[in-house]
Amino acid sequence: MKGIVFTEFLDLVEHKFGLEMVDKIIEQSKLDSQGVYTAIGTYEFSEMLQLLQHLSRNTGISIDNLLLVYAEHFFSVLKDSYPDLLNIYTDPIEMIASIENHIHVEVRKIYPDAELPTFEIEERTEQSLIMIYKSSRAMHYFGLGLMNKTFEHFNASASIVLEKIKDDGTEVKFIITKN
Amino acid sequence: MSQNQIDILQRALHREKLARKQAEKILESKSLELFKISEELKDVNNKLTSLLDEKTIQLQGVFENINDAYIVIDIRGNVVKMNDTAVHLFGYNIKEAPINVKSLVYKEDYKYAINSFKKLLSNGSFLNYTARIFTKKKQIKWVHINASVIYNKQKKPIAAQGIIRDITKAKFSANLIEKQKKALEKSNNELQEYAHIVSHDLKSPLRSIDSLVNWIKEDNKEKFDVDTLKNFKLIEATLEKMEQLISDILDYSSIDSTNRTQQIDLQKLVLDLQKTLFIPTNISIKIHNKLPTIKGDKTKFQQLFQNLIVNAIKFNDKEKGFIEIDFLEKQRYYQFSVRDNGIGIDEKYHQSIFKIFHSLDAKKGSSGIGLSIVKKIITLFNGDIWVKSKLGEETTFFFTLKKQ
Repeated sequence: MKGIVFTEFLDLVEHKFGLEMVDKIIEQSKLDSQGVYTAIGTYEFSEMLQLLQHLSRNTGISIDNLLLVYAEHFFSVLKDSYPDLLNIYTDPIEMIASIENHIHVEVRKIYPDAELPTFEIEERTEQSLIMIYKSSRAMHYFGLGLMNKTFEHFNASASIVLEKIKDDGTEVKFIITKN
Repeated sequence: MSQNQIDILQRALHREKLARKQAEKILESKSLELFKISEELKDVNNKLTSLLDEKTIQLQGVFENINDAYIVIDIRGNVVKMNDTAVHLFGYNIKEAPINVKSLVYKEDYKYAINSFKKLLSNGSFLNYTARIFTKKKQIKWVHINASVIYNKQKKPIAAQGIIRDITKAKFSANLIEKQKKALEKSNNELQEYAHIVSHDLKSPLRSIDSLVNWIKEDNKEKFDVDTLKNFKLIEATLEKMEQLISDILDYSSIDSTNRTQQIDLQKLVLDLQKTLFIPTNISIKIHNKLPTIKGDKTKFQQLFQNLIVNAIKFNDKEKGFIEIDFLEKQRYYQFSVRDNGIGIDEKYHQSIFKIFHSLDAKKGSSGIGLSIVKKIITLFNGDIWVKSKLGEETTFFFTLKKQ
């Protein structure tokens, strides 16, 4: 997993819960990296999982909700880092529908070894979109957070319903309806 | 600050330090990688530059050395580049004054030129444009042009290039050849007609001489001595030979055309010939393989076999003479042979015997036309003829007739 996901995560934890919480979850986890992360490095996904689990345990907030909040934060990171990518789009549905065919293609140009989830489009209209999320990481709430912020970015809103196709969350249906 | 807080800060600081070092290491290896790539790119760029130079020189060479005129025009038809050949052809030089291709077009070909130019822009190229141009020296020249459009990166046409060949001479030659061909056809026909007339006209005085000679003989039956009568016989023989010669010439001159519609049974044709020809008793004729039935012209085939058989009889000096006719079917043609055990033909004559008036032995009553008639007929049927012989022993004539 790319280092920027870790550094941004820990920055958010520090901002919301303080440096002590950062120290606590690192100390509680068994990390090959010893909790030393740089945005340009690459680290094991299992480390993120441990950090999330310990944060959830310490704060009483579910992992899904933590991911949701983190994703909303991460959207602003993306917006600052890759404004050109976002400026291409004029419509949130259009942007979300092009994750697979455009955004992930661009990601792979910069990070050829990135392990990305897939978003298959099942149905698409002007106002709605149904996608199937597939990833062994089961980070569908991260996706949801990014989508929420996408609508916000275009001054729009939507109701997004998640239906788990597999119980472990590795396959989830996103039903997006623009308000 | 409590010890706990100090520990937390120290750990955080330690992690940050390590992270910084890690980042520096990653960045250093990345920058090394970039440096290497940039070196490689420089190298590739150098290679490309030298390749470009090389190609430019090659193109320049083609541009300068090409035998045809080469011009580049913009899409409004203004000439922007021309080689020396083009300067020479048109008489104009863009280094002295600008020119537009419109001014080169010959008035009567203007519409054709405009249409071709439109076609060039829409299709991207044209081939074999043939028309007249008007040069600076007011000359009209025929040219052949192949042209193509030059596009920019956005695939928009920006210019056109053309290779222009001066075909004035070729056009003139083609016309000349056509005229000469017609003249030749005409004189050929006249010649054939002439041969007919001459043959007929020559025969009637011959007949008159023949009659007169007979009358003189009748009138002076008692008065002529043996020698004179012998001379009269010689005159008659000579007259006969002359008549034969004239007939042969007539035959030869009328071979030029044929109809190939009839199915001819060659076996029957040769057997019939044997009945009508005078064959001395010491000579036998044998057909080895049954001859085929082929499409052709009966009279011509008769002439063909008759001439060969008569020759074989005429030039046989053996006590027991034979003539063997044989046939082989090949994939594309029929091959025939006529073999005899006559006097044979010296190899030095193997080619010349087929030419008209080449007789091996004038005494044998040969006009020297027979084999040239044979050759002419065979040529008419896209065949070939050749001869094999042992002097004093035997001769075989081989000939082929192409299948339809």
